[in-house]
Amino acid sequence: MNASPPMAGDFLSLLAAQKLAPFGAPAANAPAQTQATTVFAFHFAAGVLMAGDRRATAGNQIVTDKVDKVLEIDATSLLAIAGVPAMAFEMARVLSTSFEYYRRSQLQPLSLPAKVRAIARLLRDNLPLTMQGVGVVAPLFAALDHSVQPARPALFFYDPLGAQFQSAGYVASGSGSGSIRSILSFQERYGRPKPSQMSLPEAVRLALRLLIVASEFDSATGGVNPATGGFATLRVLGPDGVGTVTEEQQASWLAEG
Amino acid sequence: MTEEPYRWLEAVANRREYVRDQLRGGTPVLAASLPDGILLVGAGPGQAKVFELFDRQALAGLGHPADLERLRQAAIDAAHTEAFTRAPEDVSLRRLVGYGLSPLLKANFEQIFTAPFLVELLLAEVGAEPAADVLVRLHFDGGFRAQPGGVMVAASLPEPEAAAQAWLQGVLAGVTERAAAAEWLLQAWWVLGANRPFGEGLPAEAERRAGWRAALAPGGERGVELGWLARRGPRAARYSAPTRAELGL
Repeated sequence: MNASPPMAGDFLSLLAAQKLAPFGAPAANAPAQTQATTVFAFHFAAGVLMAGDRRATAGNQIVTDKVDKVLEIDATSLLAIAGVPAMAFEMARVLSTSFEYYRRSQLQPLSLPAKVRAIARLLRDNLPLTMQGVGVVAPLFAALDHSVQPARPALFFYDPLGAQFQSAGYVASGSGSGSIRSILSFQERYGRPKPSQMSLPEAVRLALRLLIVASEFDSATGGVNPATGGFATLRVLGPDGVGTVTEEQQASWLAEG
Repeated sequence: MTEEPYRWLEAVANRREYVRDQLRGGTPVLAASLPDGILLVGAGPGQAKVFELFDRQALAGLGHPADLERLRQAAIDAAHTEAFTRAPEDVSLRRLVGYGLSPLLKANFEQIFTAPFLVELLLAEVGAEPAADVLVRLHFDGGFRAQPGGVMVAASLPEPEAAAQAWLQGVLAGVTERAAAAEWLLQAWWVLGANRPFGEGLPAEAERRAGWRAALAPGGERGVELGWLARRGPRAARYSAPTRAELGL
């Protein structure tokens, strides 16, 4: 965290100057942590689809099945959170405020590389909690790359220490991500159509089925249950920005398959 | 100085005169509350008159660019800190102006050994309904006036400003489309800038329409600056800057 004076357009240094830094020192004896699990994203024909189940667990307890783990950070950025929601949601709030603060104060949007590094910076700030095993966060990030015309969505994933990696095809994080990475790898190699060639309804259907499969192998993944109205959080990032796939659309497109 | 209060009063009066004199050449900014949102209009070289502050708040102003920038930055800092430490819903124009900008301007204005802010400001906040819209006129000395919706003008001189506002209230009654509203606001902008009267002697509509178009011709030194605070939208941030072409102007 920077000391004062604030750097122009940098919201974190503004907070630090006002002694309002978002991440404090860890407690010596941390309570049982709520955790959140399977999130993933892949390119489809019209952009990127980012998906997350809605379950949060603490040990063997299901805390809730109504968590939104795919968050709109600004008009052209999405963040999917895996790990401890207390830290992950705070990171999302910091990012959202930081990106908008920069855009409004500097009269231009933050560049994609700066957005990607802003997340890495937050993860590094969270390192003490990560090293103690009480605040691990491993997010996914999708944002529009305006350095190419037309603007194209780009996908990134991070390790809990803040290392950032760009992915050409798909990314996944959380305890259920192993199954999903395997299936997406298979689909991208042998699928007809490949995920990157799918229409939005096809991509949504694939995403919901991936969550159903992941939930069969991972109790911390909520899965999808149309009978009880249990769907996923699905957001789309296309050249025009961010959109949401409603539960009605999910039900309709899943039933078509 | 404290032993001679009349000197302080005289100094403040001189300062007021100085600021008004410095602002004399500033071009006005205008805002109108419409059924679908609030439209803000100014004229400048681009991103110089009308600005987004926060999700539902915007600022338009005239005066020295450096002073306008300092106040814009102060408002943005306050709004984002408030939104982060409390919630975005807690950011309100009344609090931004009443507890932030107004005291800042007043304190600066009365410190007679510092340079005064050379600005006149107009701020807008879009509400869930037109009746919940707030327009605020904030002066260089910290004085301000808030009104629910309607029309507001910020100009360098009070009398033409009041005349323009009264005229716009009449002509904008019943106007719902933002393109039509922008046309009227730009006509008022031109009449103010041309130092023409709004009562007897008001230029004919054809002259007004041609007047602002000639003054703000594409490719010229100044262009039309538009800001739009949408009443409804899928995102929390409701501000956009429509182009002249988008409004068919």
